[in-house]
Amino acid sequence: MKSTAGIVVSAFVVALLAALPWYGNTVMLQFGISVLLLATLAQGWNIIGGYTGYASFGNSVFYGLGAYGVAIAMTQFNLPFWVGMLLGLALAVVFAALLGLAVLRLRGHYFAIATLGLAFIMTAIVSNLEIAGRNIGLVLPLLKSDVLFYELALGLLVLVTLTVFWLSRSRFGLGLVAIRENEEGAAVMGVNTTLYKVLAFMLSAAFTGLAGGIYAYYITFIDPVGVFDVSLNVKMIIMAVFGGPGSVLGPVVGAFVLSTISEVLATKVTSFASMFFGIVIVIAVVFMPRGIAHLVENFRRTGWRYFAGNVRTHRL
Amino acid sequence: MMLRFLFFVAALAASAVAGAQTVTFGASVQLTGPVANTGRYYKDAYDFAIEKINAAGGVKVGSTQQKIALKLLDNQSDVNLSVRQYSQLLSQDKVNFLLGPFASNFVLADSSIAEKSSVPMVQGGGASDEIYTRGYKYIFGTLPAASDYFGSTIDALAKLNPAPKTVALLYADDSFDVSVAKGTRELLKKAGLTTVLDERYSTNASDFSVLLSRIKSGNADVVLVAGHETEVLNFIRQAKSLGVSPKLYSFTVGVPSADFRQALGKDANGASGMTAWLPSTSLKDQWFGDAEAFAKAWKAKFGYDPDYHAAAGVAAVEAFVNAIQNAGSTDPQKVRDALAKVSFDSVYGHIAFNDKGQISLPQIMIQIQDDKVVPIFAGKDFINKLVYPLPPWDKR
Amino acid sequence: MELLAQVLVSGVLLGGLYALMALGLALVWGVLNIVNLSHGALIMLGAYTSYFLFTVWHIDPFVTLPITAVVLFIVGYAIERGILNFVIRGPMFNTLLITFGIEVILTYLAQLWFSADFRAINPTYAGANFAIAGITIPTVQVLVFAIALGLTIAMWLFLLHTRIGRGIRASAQNLVAARLYGVDPKRIYALTFGLGAALAGVTGGLYGTVSQINPYIGGPLTAKSFAIAIIGGLDNPLGVIVGGLVLGIVESLTALYFGSTYRDVASFGVLLLVLILRPSGLLGRTA
Repeated sequence: MKSTAGIVVSAFVVALLAALPWYGNTVMLQFGISVLLLATLAQGWNIIGGYTGYASFGNSVFYGLGAYGVAIAMTQFNLPFWVGMLLGLALAVVFAALLGLAVLRLRGHYFAIATLGLAFIMTAIVSNLEIAGRNIGLVLPLLKSDVLFYELALGLLVLVTLTVFWLSRSRFGLGLVAIRENEEGAAVMGVNTTLYKVLAFMLSAAFTGLAGGIYAYYITFIDPVGVFDVSLNVKMIIMAVFGGPGSVLGPVVGAFVLSTISEVLATKVTSFASMFFGIVIVIAVVFMPRGIAHLVENFRRTGWRYFAGNVRTHRL
Repeated sequence: MMLRFLFFVAALAASAVAGAQTVTFGASVQLTGPVANTGRYYKDAYDFAIEKINAAGGVKVGSTQQKIALKLLDNQSDVNLSVRQYSQLLSQDKVNFLLGPFASNFVLADSSIAEKSSVPMVQGGGASDEIYTRGYKYIFGTLPAASDYFGSTIDALAKLNPAPKTVALLYADDSFDVSVAKGTRELLKKAGLTTVLDERYSTNASDFSVLLSRIKSGNADVVLVAGHETEVLNFIRQAKSLGVSPKLYSFTVGVPSADFRQALGKDANGASGMTAWLPSTSLKDQWFGDAEAFAKAWKAKFGYDPDYHAAAGVAAVEAFVNAIQNAGSTDPQKVRDALAKVSFDSVYGHIAFNDKGQISLPQIMIQIQDDKVVPIFAGKDFINKLVYPLPPWDKR
Repeated sequence: MELLAQVLVSGVLLGGLYALMALGLALVWGVLNIVNLSHGALIMLGAYTSYFLFTVWHIDPFVTLPITAVVLFIVGYAIERGILNFVIRGPMFNTLLITFGIEVILTYLAQLWFSADFRAINPTYAGANFAIAGITIPTVQVLVFAIALGLTIAMWLFLLHTRIGRGIRASAQNLVAARLYGVDPKRIYALTFGLGAALAGVTGGLYGTVSQINPYIGGPLTAKSFAIAIIGGLDNPLGVIVGGLVLGIVESLTALYFGSTYRDVASFGVLLLVLILRPSGLLGRTA
């Protein structure tokens, strides 16, 4: 959205969301925290998956590291929450740099599987660490202020979206897109592909880790299987892909839409909820693989033929 | 337009009237997902108990007789969803009180919601020490302490002749089983038994061949396993196929449950376990008569035999009803205080909570003999004969 | 020393089961470039099929295997023709997502139809074993190993020496050229996926005999199968034997010397090492 009108609308929406604690009820607040964190994860994934084209299945590693950073700092060393957040952030970014150097050399499927392997191995390692409470996990002190968590989550989402917005206009961002479209070509044109990829990975990890930190304090109890959850990975990817990878607002929209539907189902229809998710994924991938953002852009031109067109291009 | 308005007013009035006459419980239970086969015990328990209590007139709140309603959600064996559901039950569905989920790690996360909102939760699904060492005031549990699970088994071992000397202790790495192992180590030391293997394994492990080989080469007389049903099932089958035959093996789960015994068939015979509850006629209850009648009615209604999970779930509901009646109100604070003081007999046994909120019940050692669960040892005496030593696999 | 020998034998036999698990996945991935995240769910369905054939009609589990294979072949064929066909020529990432969606749906349906109770296929000979030089060897696991070996070699021969097999490889390498030679790509893809599903089904039937069955066993099995397929290498079907053996032995030795909770660290550690140092796998051609 390039126009000033777009910026004004966005600012208005953010203000509206920030004021929620005063006009909404507790349910909306808690749902809000959940959705805002998920949207942050989707947006964070967007940096490495949407813009750079490296579909990471291991962002849950950084989420977990952020969560454990806060948990360990607060429970083992009695440090305040913001110190824990810094620790979580540091863990996530450092690991992203190290692991990134190792696995960003791989392409396509292999990169995806390598990051998936990272997620599993992190779960296995942390469940053996005494300081992390092994597989039992850690219990954090109780803070009865959901408003704080809500505003923090909202602030984080705004921050990551602004970062992605900046990416969409900066040379760095263009370099990432170049890597996505044609990595060899980008290298020939002088883009330092390794540096750019690792930086993108670290940026993605930073926001994911911070989201994990907020989550840990909010939920007061974390264990390896809960925060390094592989299906969380898939969720954030689906939301980003559903909304439109490589766009600025796509992942946020995707996260909001899918979360709302999923939550409503999980609390009203209950058992059908999990199958619903599966069906949505299948339909979305077949009919609108480029996400809502792309759909919105092109629907105006091609109308209902948009869906059939997608199918025809991609099917055997 | 007018019609819609009238309908709205009518609905509002109806809900107000209904609300004034019901006490609502909320629960998020695993109805789907990997632990659903135990989760459903709790749904059935809550439903059954509430149905029976309502049929007898409901709960007496001060001077009015009120019915009990239940709002139950499926958390799909996902802890994060479970937490959100408990929040929703409190803030959106406005339930009065909370009943717990199955499994200690779920209780650990979900109980924080109850504590944060200052609403009492009585749960029959988690026994690990962590639940009760946080200083929470609103959480009560009807499962006895994890550290004592093998208590009666070890007492029984001391009275055998010839007494076993060596023990292998295996435990999964989750909260409950680690608590069991910690407590068991103390008990083993006191009993003077030598531990030849003390090993933690990953939850959901499916291959026990290495552990079994080590048990065999370490010549353990007795094997104690604290784990989950799927692991115990794999353990027993692999013990058979590797020809590992300790003189006795005892498990914290599986043995009391019907579908576990059915899956193993004849291979289940000889396995020992424990339960804090048996359907005996000595446990008298205001609504169910006694535990044996309860078990029969349960089987008739649901088609499977209840075990201690089911009884613990029923106990949770009864504890609430008792507390509400004693408090004479549905005010969360008053009911919480009443819960801390309850003391009555029920189909589950005597219900009273210690100052940390946990019930205290002795475990009864049981063994599967001829496809049936037989109580073996409780307190200081043998109730029935224990099959010991177990014949080696090829001679069964 | 005897303990070590026993553990090694257990590791090798475990490797056989692992190889069989990964075979269907490796076939579909290496040949069709479809990353099937629902592979574990297909194994689960195969397990249930064999379970019901055994429990209701009292057919010996090993005899149920061909029937289960046929049933799962049909299921796989239908999934490919009905769903996967629509996204094959899109970015390969999409097949990852869509097969994940299929996995969720299949798991949910299994829970709905079969309930969460666990089952086990328990023929009278399930616990049989024999001893060689003081080492106890479970009979069923040896049979599993033999079947795994047999099927892998059969698959290798099939791909190399039969017309259909060559058609499959041709389509994988160059679809346009294959079409020019008269290969019908839709049928070939569906057939291959069906074969992968059939292999998963056979794995399931055997898995139910050595372990237990519930709707949720799919996920971890898929993860393991990935590790095995990559470690062995996707270019050569024989790779899964290598991958399976490496993983089986590494896991068992880790459990013996470091502790049972480190098994996953070891197996995924090996996966990462292979990906970083030799991505084409131990038996793969270095590109």
